[in-house]
Amino acid sequence: MPARQPLAWLKEGWALWVLVAGSVLVVYGALLLVQAPPRQTGIDLVVGSLGSAHAISGTLNEVTPLLISGIAVFLGLKAGLFNIGVEGQFTIGALAATLVALRLPGPVGMVGAVIAGMAAGGLIALPAGAIKAYRGGHEVITTIMLNNVVGLIATALVAGPLKAPNAESPETSSISASSHLPDLIHIGNLEINGGLLIGVLVAIGLAVWLRRGVTGFELRAAGANPTAARFAGINQKLVILKAMTWSGAIGGLAGAVQVLGSQYYFTPDLSSGYGFDALGVALIAGGSPIGLIPSASLFGILHKGGTSIQLMDQVPKGIMYVVLGLLIVIAAAARYRKKLVSDG
Amino acid sequence: MPEQPIRAVEAEGDFAVSMTGVSMRFGTVQALDKVDLHVKRGTVHALVGENGAGKTTLMRILYGALQADEGEVRLDGKPVQFRTSKQAIESGIGMVSQHYGIIPDMTCLQNLMLGAEGGPILDPKAESRAEELARRMGFQFNWRRKAESLSPGGAQKLEILKLLWRNARIMILDEPTAMLSPSDGDALFASLKKLAGQGATVILVTHRLPEVLDHCSTVTVLRGGLRVAEKTVKETNGRELAQLIVGGSIAEPPALTAEVGASVLHVQDLTVSGERGHDALRSVSVRVGSGEIVGIAGVDGSGQRELFQAIAGLIRPRAGQIAIAGFDAQTASSRQRIALGLRIIPEDRHEEGLIEDWSLEENAALSLQRLSPFARGLAVDVKGREAAAAAIAERFDTKHGGLKLPVRSLSGGNQQRFVAARALFLSPKAILAFQPARGLDLNSTTRVYEGIREACKGGAGALVVSFDLDELLEYCDRIVVMNRGEMFHPDPDHARDRDQIGRLMVSAS
Amino acid sequence: MVSWALTLRDQTFIWSAPVALAAMGGFTSERSGIINIALEGKMLTAACVGFICSLYTPNPYLALLAAIGASTALSLFHWLLTQKYRLDHIISGMAINAIAAGATDYLYNKFAGASTSGIVLLSMKFFWAFAYSVPLLLFLYVRYTRGGLRLFAVGNDPAKSRLLGLQPLRVRLCGLLATGVFTGVAGAMLFTNAGQFTLGMTAGKGFIALAALIIGGWRPIPALLASLGFGFCQALQLQLQGTSIFGANLPAEVYSSLPYIITVVALAGFLGRGKAPAGLGKL
Repeated sequence: MPARQPLAWLKEGWALWVLVAGSVLVVYGALLLVQAPPRQTGIDLVVGSLGSAHAISGTLNEVTPLLISGIAVFLGLKAGLFNIGVEGQFTIGALAATLVALRLPGPVGMVGAVIAGMAAGGLIALPAGAIKAYRGGHEVITTIMLNNVVGLIATALVAGPLKAPNAESPETSSISASSHLPDLIHIGNLEINGGLLIGVLVAIGLAVWLRRGVTGFELRAAGANPTAARFAGINQKLVILKAMTWSGAIGGLAGAVQVLGSQYYFTPDLSSGYGFDALGVALIAGGSPIGLIPSASLFGILHKGGTSIQLMDQVPKGIMYVVLGLLIVIAAAARYRKKLVSDG
Repeated sequence: MPEQPIRAVEAEGDFAVSMTGVSMRFGTVQALDKVDLHVKRGTVHALVGENGAGKTTLMRILYGALQADEGEVRLDGKPVQFRTSKQAIESGIGMVSQHYGIIPDMTCLQNLMLGAEGGPILDPKAESRAEELARRMGFQFNWRRKAESLSPGGAQKLEILKLLWRNARIMILDEPTAMLSPSDGDALFASLKKLAGQGATVILVTHRLPEVLDHCSTVTVLRGGLRVAEKTVKETNGRELAQLIVGGSIAEPPALTAEVGASVLHVQDLTVSGERGHDALRSVSVRVGSGEIVGIAGVDGSGQRELFQAIAGLIRPRAGQIAIAGFDAQTASSRQRIALGLRIIPEDRHEEGLIEDWSLEENAALSLQRLSPFARGLAVDVKGREAAAAAIAERFDTKHGGLKLPVRSLSGGNQQRFVAARALFLSPKAILAFQPARGLDLNSTTRVYEGIREACKGGAGALVVSFDLDELLEYCDRIVVMNRGEMFHPDPDHARDRDQIGRLMVSAS
Repeated sequence: MVSWALTLRDQTFIWSAPVALAAMGGFTSERSGIINIALEGKMLTAACVGFICSLYTPNPYLALLAAIGASTALSLFHWLLTQKYRLDHIISGMAINAIAAGATDYLYNKFAGASTSGIVLLSMKFFWAFAYSVPLLLFLYVRYTRGGLRLFAVGNDPAKSRLLGLQPLRVRLCGLLATGVFTGVAGAMLFTNAGQFTLGMTAGKGFIALAALIIGGWRPIPALLASLGFGFCQALQLQLQGTSIFGANLPAEVYSSLPYIITVVALAGFLGRGKAPAGLGKL
């Protein structure tokens, strides 16, 4: 893990401050462009996401899938992989979980659904991992292609054989209440689902494993310097394969939790938007998986608040994505820059 | 030997290159401190000093790759200020650097034409012009073949041709013979002499004193960023130069004792496939017993790297056996070989030995991460690792600012010391070292080899690859030679005969 | 039977053309050392901007220029991110794709309300001529000009190139500008062929173009052939839709997923052939 020097940010410089200023400008400019009053929009964002128990529940509801899919991407990044396939893994994990929960109601079904979701996500990521490890095929392309394939399969299945009877749009039946993930807190309007706890536990578990596990050490080495890792006796190819598969499994977990804890039935577009955002969550998180929790919270606020300002201040969805993209660039600029090799 | 004595007062125009008061600072390090350099036209001038003395930095300033903090540069008396290499090239300066400015993937002809002046459409007559230029220098090239097919000597010649193609009048050669055989080196100097005779000016950056004494007319000595002397070669000798370079007396090399015990590393009939149909290793056999240091001499590209990687488990041989500490290892993974006692000092510490962003502490565990005291089972033993890292850093006096700082904060020499110490940690049995003293000054080199010797006395054996024959002769008990993938064992009566070994390095056409 | 084969051929050429052009856009940037996964976003933006422009002006050439301008602007941004800010190339590419998705969503919803009747479009023949001559021109450029030599050198080893007096930043700028032009025309081709713009209409073509480039060993003519190969599979898939295989009627989605699956299989099988520019991703 990179050693963090406290004032590195200040030293790295003025360029970074320019970028921060730039991002403020970007947001401001976008708001001006759509003729949304900046101050009011800001207030609406905060109120819409945190202003009431209902709002907070909604925000945390968004945080859960963002957190878990962020963990998936983060794991990949640590191994030097870009898992852009989180969206597909999410979808297929959700689908697998739904199917199992529909067949096996009750707590057993719930656990089975989680496992099925992880297995499905891992299996769909496996080919991408194998191709990258053993053939050198870039995982960005293979995972995006697989995303498309999963999307098509899901659409076909849900429009056809898996469609709920009497449903108007393509969706499956709802899973029975006995299969729902239990809530952690349910007081009045404040609902926090157990899925969030799962996410937090996985993040902590990953942090411990990366820092204190020998295999975690080896994964980080493989991601930081593949050649040095090979010289250190690490089986580079196997590490990549395992990392990609586990990353996919966690992506599938995110989908399963979404169905079991939040939506309770499956639609083909239930993962929309989480793919790129998961990348953002992972990038802003910093060096440690624990950072994924605040990072996902931030994105959750932006998501939930974003829906509000879309309605109330007429900020179009498209512009929000542009702004998000630019902000991620800025965040990445702080951490994922290349250094000029200086010959000594 | 050209005879051009330096007089106390010179007319400015006599100097092809005149650098005065050049200073350069990198962070906290003063790489150059008011250095002067004067080179007469038509001479071969040596620039010597240890690693880190500032030779390469000074030349990079001359070549426009760096801008000095202060100082003046004049060419033929006229002041110049280069901001890019392009400007230097246009003024007639050319540099042949240690890392070969040849792009292997492109053809010889393409490499020749790269960066040279000319119109947007490539000249169809370029090939015949190139052929003519080559013939004048006595070189020969297959212009259409990729440059990766060139031997190091051939690549060197192509580099020189590139300079001539661009009408370079001032040529800087940075450690050109580092990877050449003795006869290729002689051929190089013959060409340089010819060029100097035609009026070109050659600056030779080197740390090999025999070259300076045999082929150069004047020499400038740098030490720690300062110019400590500028003399004609006739006025000085090897011992004086060595003392000027090091600034004191050099440590005595350790006495060579070799009580050879049981085999720690035994390679038999190892064959590794290479590219383009040739085998990179052809039925290579060598045995290293405990207590001895065996050196592998040979020109770069003779198969040393493949042998190294095959023993380490990084590439798979097509045939042959490898035994480490008596155990059959050819099917073992590299991790298992490390567990058997194999330790590696890799060729390139940046790429192969260290993870730059990681702390010294975590780097200490690389390659040993599964062994105690670094781990207990599959969990990292943090205290054990800390203690081990401290011990490793102390072994060769690695200067560092704290074990938790990134290893990038260490200088190159300190990084090398760290990597070497790590390989000697935890009872090594078979030590593989590829240029272990790379980037180290004379004293550190001696200490590293002392460390290897100590480990060998404790029961290990070492196999060392180096391109510096003198280094091998000084520190190894036994020398074998690799040439074109084959291993040759010198005749026992002449086991340390420099000439014999040199001939083995290049014989077998 | 003959008409079936002719349709197959036509469909192949029609589908391959924008992909091949995008692959050429990938060629000029990747050969200079920039990993370019943003072909998708650039093409999409060009298609959107070009279409919207054609709604408001009767001059189809203006629309084409607008398309090229949009993708070139994105390309310049890409250059800034990777060369001036030295951002990771993959992240830069993904960001551009996301920005493109968002921007096209916004622009389409805001400006594309006008009716499409009466818009003037260029003839597709012009585009096809362009798309299929560019690979040949690039081949000649690389072989016979000093610029081509510089492109290869910079993409192979930027550090050495600097020592040789070349300027990698400038070469890469030219490479990315060319990418902008090629993806711009490719995007224009998309909306011209369809007569309109739909959100996400690139549907992964930008990534398939990148795959074609990789399979073609980063050389223009082989990349063109690879694009045609993908086009052929797509055309075949369109023909087979609705017909029964082994007596079963497979849903359209199965056929639609073929190009993506084939891309994955191709990347699994073909790599090793044709090395990537050694300096990809390096400064």
